[in-house]
Amino acid sequence: MEKQLSLPRLREEMTSGMLCAWLKEEGEPVEAGEPLYEIETDKVVNQIEATESGVLKKQLREEGDEIAPGEPVAVLETE
Amino acid sequence: MIYMDSRSTDPYYNLAFEEYLFRSFPGEDLFLLWRNSPCMVVGSYQNICRETRPARLRRLGIPTLRRISGGGAVYHDLGNVNYSFITRQEGGTDYDRSLAPILAALNAIGVPARKRRTCDIAIGEEKISGSAQRAAGGRLLHHGTLLFDADLTALEEISVRGKGEHVQTKGTQSAICAVTNIRQHLEEDATVEDFCRQLLDNMVPDPSDRLELTAAQEAEVRRLAEEKYRSWEWTWGRTPAFTCKRSGTFAGKSIFIAYQAKKGIVSDARIESHAINGPLAASLLNGARLDPEGFAAICRELAGDQEEELLELLL
Repeated sequence: MEKQLSLPRLREEMTSGMLCAWLKEEGEPVEAGEPLYEIETDKVVNQIEATESGVLKKQLREEGDEIAPGEPVAVLETE
Repeated sequence: MIYMDSRSTDPYYNLAFEEYLFRSFPGEDLFLLWRNSPCMVVGSYQNICRETRPARLRRLGIPTLRRISGGGAVYHDLGNVNYSFITRQEGGTDYDRSLAPILAALNAIGVPARKRRTCDIAIGEEKISGSAQRAAGGRLLHHGTLLFDADLTALEEISVRGKGEHVQTKGTQSAICAVTNIRQHLEEDATVEDFCRQLLDNMVPDPSDRLELTAAQEAEVRRLAEEKYRSWEWTWGRTPAFTCKRSGTFAGKSIFIAYQAKKGIVSDARIESHAINGPLAASLLNGARLDPEGFAAICRELAGDQEEELLELLL
């Protein structure tokens, strides 16, 4: 099953964050809890972990992109 | 709260020390105080070419390092005191929780400091401290600088004021602020060592809570310093993709320089100048790593004695 992963709201006042690193490549298996990508907002680099296990099917955004909370970032193929 | 003493002023070691503690001590709340010998430290996702002056830093012998937190480029020397809090992450990111204890300690030792903007500390209208964070695996790293007696002339000389517009890039931009040294604002003069001691006595009063790493842990830190913080891949390879385009004067003649760099590797290089062999420049630059020493060698080949002048334009 394909599942879209969206950027969580990391703080109340957050309007957007910058995608600063992908930590998994497309096609790589991901365990729940494993770090998937990094977002910088207000001088905080937040490592975002996968909420479930699967395979990273698609990176929807690239490094340097500004992303708003709730916007899709990745597609995960789950069992 | 446990204080960990790095006992080093080597910036590569100290950045590795902090990351090692952030990753390896999940159960403890830690406080660190550390100082670096002169260096430039950029944020996790910054373009070194836009945010620093690589040619000038090379000439001054000041190394550039990349840290794991966000935010902008910072100049460090032994007059700048760094503090870190490593704690459990609770709720969303929040600077006030980390700034409150350091502000209280500063005020207790007679520094008339107050919070300014989201994560700065100032005396009057001048900044004495900036901070940044990293959140991962349920842990929060908050660290900040404290300008106590830093060389503000050096800081001014290497600041990027008026530089960087020729670099088109994504990535985090640094803020340039008016700064001051804490030492100038003390009623009773103190050395940077006195200042650190007073801060520590305030933050971690019980000497039995002050620890050092074991020899085996220290070896791990040294390994991380070598493999990550001294590596080209981490420091330069992580520079966001960019395009550099600039016109200027070289050897009294006009010059136009253009190139791109992705993952730190140069492509589409072009130099147009009567004083430079253009095809040779393109062949030397294309495929080269963004790297002050490597670029200096290329400039030597292209410009001989005028290497420095060309390097200032190129990097």
